[in-house]
Amino acid sequence: MLISIRDLHRNYQVGTEVVHALNGVTLTIEPNEYVAIMGPSGSGKTTLMNIIGCLDTPTSGSYKLKDKEISEQSDDELARIRNHEIGFVFQTFNLLARADALHNVELPLVYAGVKHEERRRRAREALERVGLADRMRHRPNELSGGQRQRVAIARALVNRPSIVLADEPTGNLDTHTGEEIMAAFAQIWRQGNAVILVTHELDIAAHAHRVVRMRDGKIASDERNPNPTAVKDLDGAVAPPAVPVVDR
Amino acid sequence: MNLRESTGIALSALRANKLRSFLTLLGTIIGVMSVIAVLSFVEGLNQFVSQKLLNAGANAFYVDSYGFVTSQEAFDEVKNNPPVELDDADALRDGVHSASMVVAGADDHDFLRFRNKDMKGVDVHGRGAGWEVIEDYSLRSGRTLTELDDSRRRLACVIGADVAEELFGNLDPIGRQIRVGADTYDVVGVMEAKGKLFGQSQDRFVTIPVHTFVKVRQERPFLTVAVKAVDQASMPLAQQEARNVMRARRHLGPLRKDNFGITTSENVLELYRTLTGGIFVVTIGVAAISLVVGGIVIMNIMLVSVTERTREIGLRKAMGARRRDILSQFLVEATTLSLTGGIIGVVTGVLLALLAGAVSPLPTAVSLPGVVLGIVMSAGIGVFFGSYPAWRAARLDPIEALRYE
Repeated sequence: MLISIRDLHRNYQVGTEVVHALNGVTLTIEPNEYVAIMGPSGSGKTTLMNIIGCLDTPTSGSYKLKDKEISEQSDDELARIRNHEIGFVFQTFNLLARADALHNVELPLVYAGVKHEERRRRAREALERVGLADRMRHRPNELSGGQRQRVAIARALVNRPSIVLADEPTGNLDTHTGEEIMAAFAQIWRQGNAVILVTHELDIAAHAHRVVRMRDGKIASDERNPNPTAVKDLDGAVAPPAVPVVDR
Repeated sequence: MNLRESTGIALSALRANKLRSFLTLLGTIIGVMSVIAVLSFVEGLNQFVSQKLLNAGANAFYVDSYGFVTSQEAFDEVKNNPPVELDDADALRDGVHSASMVVAGADDHDFLRFRNKDMKGVDVHGRGAGWEVIEDYSLRSGRTLTELDDSRRRLACVIGADVAEELFGNLDPIGRQIRVGADTYDVVGVMEAKGKLFGQSQDRFVTIPVHTFVKVRQERPFLTVAVKAVDQASMPLAQQEARNVMRARRHLGPLRKDNFGITTSENVLELYRTLTGGIFVVTIGVAAISLVVGGIVIMNIMLVSVTERTREIGLRKAMGARRRDILSQFLVEATTLSLTGGIIGVVTGVLLALLAGAVSPLPTAVSLPGVVLGIVMSAGIGVFFGSYPAWRAARLDPIEALRYE
């Protein structure tokens, strides 16, 4: 089991009122699952994602990542877990504007304490994998939206995390470019990572093998998707719409 | 996150906002620059003065009626002292056994005339034989004044290089006669030029025998008797002997204070050090104010930078940066900023000092401790004023930082 969440609550104090963003969520995710978390805004899906990503800690309940209780970890330990276990992909890409693609991809390795040469090599590899071998020295403002998001994906992958966590990764892209990005996620999943997408778009969620719907801080439904949308991979292969491999 | 990485980020941020960085650093630059410039000036002065003073008065001290007076109170105490006379000089010559030379001197000024050429306000020195040794002049041509010139009260003189040039031009002054005020003197020697001291020529003088001076110019001049000890080690003994001689001549009982003064170049150096020490303290004060202002500007711009880059901080945290990584990044950035200002300040300060030395009579020398001080201070400013913004950056909540618009 990769992720084990039991009876998770997350409350926020807004003025004098307490908002229950998460109100008893129980969820398990296996390694190498491809999950979409859906729900209208205010349903708690972003809060859930922040907790899974170790950016936030729950008010009560248990979240175990690889059998480690996250709410018991120190700030530094959480930083280490984010660095080693989680690759983030954001709707707005969040690339460093002053740095070129290569340097952006290197960022997680900088905090992992990887030596300069090794960092360069691994960042190059990651960029090659997302098909940006010829754009390494370009800065974000010299790249298209799709290319920027692929740089972000390369950055998410470069430290070999067990989970790739994507928040509306196609939200700022046109449909065609969105397809490209979804192909990249299919590829990541096939290479053995768990992929968790947070989205409110049905088309995007349809690529996942499992769809978790949230409403009012609770899980409303949790279903297998027997026919995930097949997309052309970046290298031309068609992702098999297969049921995920459970063991790794 | 290592230092190289942080410094690289900081330098690229500096380059990205050149004008803003420059304006930010202006306070630090000016602060460090003024420290360097003033310290270079003081250092130059130090070297110059100690060299000149020590050369001139090597192993010498001076006996006169007032001594080295530096305040009104001190003057009130000595103003009724009896004058030192030529007889005192003779007594000192006889009584100070550890002295190699005793030379009486008195000064005033007057006009000089040779044929139809005039020089106004030239220093007229009355001196005993051997004065050139104590005052560190060497002879260019002719001869210097002798004991005989002095004891016979001859109307003979030696002249400084400026006087020789201005009155005689290409003529050889030796053997010619010049007017000094009301009297006519034979020029017997010309001294080698010594150059300028604080913009004042040291070669615009005429020296006549001190007994002649007393006879024809001033009956009761203010006399200073220079005593040169045989070597450095016998300086204290020579001073003690001189004091005994003077006290005996004036019949001072054991309870009476000296009614004459003994001054060494060490006294003068001491006053000089106090003065430049004052300059030093004032400069450091002024520089400290501009550095504090510079530091506040740096703190302000770092706070702006932290706000501008909130999303970047959030992203870095999401990518695994710990608090201390963010803290050190912004600290290094602030320090790089202020250190850049410091280095620019050092360079401009040194240039300023060199320029001042080249175009003005002020002696300047680059002060190495000043350079080190400037750099250390500017780095310290960066660390001190950068720590609050860095702390603010480090404690940002990653979720809110990422969401920041």
